[in-house]
Amino acid sequence: MTAHQPLIYVVDDNVSICRALKLLLQAYGFKVETFTKAADFLAYKHPRQQSCLVLDIRLPDIDGLALQEIMAKKGITIPIIFITGHGDIPMSVKTMKAGAIDFLPKPVTKMKLLNAITLAISKSQAQLKKQAEIDKIKRRVKTLSPKELEVFQLVAKGMLSKQIAYKRGTSLQTIKVHRSRVMQKMQAETVTDLIRFAQMAGLTSSQN
Amino acid sequence: MKKKTTISKRLAIGKTKNGEQKRLKGVVAGLRKNRNGLNDKIRKQKNALVKKNGELRNGAEKQVRAEEQIHIRTKAMESAVDGIFIIDAQKQDYPIIYVNQSFQKMTGYQKKEILGQNYFLLYGSEADPQVIEKIKQTIRKEKAYHGETPNYKKDGKKHWNLLRITPVQDARGAITHYVGIQTDVTMMREKQKEIDEQREELLHVTRVGKLAEFVSSLAHEISQPLTSILSYAQAAQRMLADREPKLREILSYIIDDDQRAAEVIHRLRTLLKKSKPDMKQLDINTLINDTVELITTDATVRNVDLKRDFASHLPLVTGDRVQLQQVLLNLISNSFEALESSRDVREISIRTSLQDNDTIRVEVKDTGVGLPVENIPKLFTRFFTSKPDGLGMGLSISRSIIEAHGGRLDVDNNPGSGVTAYFTIPISTKDA
Repeated sequence: MTAHQPLIYVVDDNVSICRALKLLLQAYGFKVETFTKAADFLAYKHPRQQSCLVLDIRLPDIDGLALQEIMAKKGITIPIIFITGHGDIPMSVKTMKAGAIDFLPKPVTKMKLLNAITLAISKSQAQLKKQAEIDKIKRRVKTLSPKELEVFQLVAKGMLSKQIAYKRGTSLQTIKVHRSRVMQKMQAETVTDLIRFAQMAGLTSSQN
Repeated sequence: MKKKTTISKRLAIGKTKNGEQKRLKGVVAGLRKNRNGLNDKIRKQKNALVKKNGELRNGAEKQVRAEEQIHIRTKAMESAVDGIFIIDAQKQDYPIIYVNQSFQKMTGYQKKEILGQNYFLLYGSEADPQVIEKIKQTIRKEKAYHGETPNYKKDGKKHWNLLRITPVQDARGAITHYVGIQTDVTMMREKQKEIDEQREELLHVTRVGKLAEFVSSLAHEISQPLTSILSYAQAAQRMLADREPKLREILSYIIDDDQRAAEVIHRLRTLLKKSKPDMKQLDINTLINDTVELITTDATVRNVDLKRDFASHLPLVTGDRVQLQQVLLNLISNSFEALESSRDVREISIRTSLQDNDTIRVEVKDTGVGLPVENIPKLFTRFFTSKPDGLGMGLSISRSIIEAHGGRLDVDNNPGSGVTAYFTIPISTKDA
C-alpha cells in the first residue's frame, strides 16, 4: 500500500457526497479522485493502475447506465460500483448484467462500500495483469519483420508451412526459416502458444 | 218539341177564324211562361240539393278526419315509451282517468286497477311521505311538478322515476285535468353511479400514484445528505483510530441515527411500492371510450368539444386498464387546462391509429395556447410544473407507465396552435 495505492474514482453530482466519500476512502488508504460530471471523468487521463469507479446512477449530464456503455465502447475496463438514492430494482439488474461489481442503495455504509471496493480492486488487478501480458505480446509482435508478421498470422490461422509456401509462391525452406524466427521472437514454445499470442494481440479473432 | 209541332199544325189547319187564332196565341204564351217558371224552379232546387249534398259530404269528411286525428293521438300516447296518465282535477279525490301501456308496465298495475284511483296510492306504503306531500302541494298550487322520486311497483320492487305533472286548462283557463309523464331512470342512475365509482377509483389511484412518486423523490433528496453525513462520520472515526474515545462514541451515535433515518425512508418506500400492474388484453378504443365517459360532464362544464377519431379494427394491446386510463386522464386534463384561457375553438381530439405492424398510436390534441418552447425539454422532469397548484408529477408518472408498457410518450406543439401529446403501445403478441 505504498506507491501502488489503489485509485478510487467517485462520480456523483452531489458535491458533499464526493467530499465525504473522498475523506472516508482516504482514511482507509485509497487514493481518491472525485468528479461531479460524467464527462469530466471521461476526459480524465486514467493512469494504468489498480482502480475502480464509484458511480451515482443518476447524473445530470450522462446517466450512470449510459456512462457504463460508453466506457465499454471506449475500452475503459475500470470496474464499476453503482450507488443510488432511488430504489430502482430494474436498473440494478441492467447494470449487473452489464458487468457492474455491485449496486448499493444510499446511504452506503462503509462496510458494504469497502467490501465492494475490495472485490472491484481484485478484478482490476486481474485485468491489469492480463493487460500487462497483452502489452508484452504486442511489444514482441512489433519486433517482427513484415514477412515474419505475415507468416505469424497465417500460422495462427492454422495453415501448414507447405500451404503457406504454396500461397506465397516461395520455397518451403524460406517459410520454415521465417517460422522458426517468429517462434523465437515471440518466445513461443509450441504452435498452440503462437495461436494464443496471436489472439491476445488481436491479430486473429478467437472464432477462427 | 212535339207539343210545339202539334200547335203549329193546328194553327196551319185552323186558319179559318181570326178570334180563334188570337185565343190560341194567348194560350201558347201562357204555356211558355209556365214552362220557363217550372224550369227555373227545378234548376234552383237542383242547385240547392247540390249545395246541401256538398255540405253534408264536407261535414262527414271533417268528422272522419277528426276521428283519425284522435285515433293517431291516442295510438301515439299508447305507444310512447314514457308512462302517461291523466288526472281529473274537477273531482274531489283526483282520480286517474287515463293511463297508457307503458304506465301499466312501469307500475305493474293493470288499467282496471288504476282507473278511478288516486295517483298516490300507486306509490305504495314505502314511498317517502315528504316527496308525496311536495307533489301534492305543487298540484294544489296549480303549478307543474318536475322531479326524480323513488317509486315502488305492485310487486314492491323499487325503481327511480322521473316525474313531470302539468296542469291542463279549459277555454276559460280553469284547470280541468293534470297530465303526467313518468320515465324509469333506474338504469341511467345505476350507470351514472358506476361511472362515478370508476372515476373515484381512478382519482384514488392517481392520488396514490402521485404520492408514491412524491415520496420516492423526497426519499432520494433525503438520502443524499444522509449518505454524506454517514461517510463523514465514518471517515472521522477511522481518522481518530484509538484516540479520543468520547468523540468516537459521539460519532457512533451520529452513524446510528443516520442509519435509523435511512431505515425509515426505506420502509416508507416499500410501503408505497407500486402494486404489480394487472396486465390484460385490451381494446384501446373501448378503453378510451370508457375514459371519455368519465369526463364528459367535465368537458360540458368547461365548454370543451371532445372529438374522437378512431381507427377501426385495431388489434388488442396488453396493459393495465387503470394505469392506461390514468395516463389518458392526465393527458386530457392537461389539455383541459390548456384550453382554459383559450377563447376561440375549445376542442380536444383523441385519435387512434396503427403506427406500424407492431404498434398502436394514441394522440390527444388540443387547440389550446401551446407550450413555451423552452419548457418542452423540462416537461418530464419531476416537480416541473407550469400550473400554480400542480405537483409536477403527472407527465413524469404517465411516461413511466407507458415505458413500463413498452411504449413511449411525448408532447409537442402543433404546427398551428395547441399541443399534441401522444403515446405508443405495442400490439399484444398473444393470440386474441
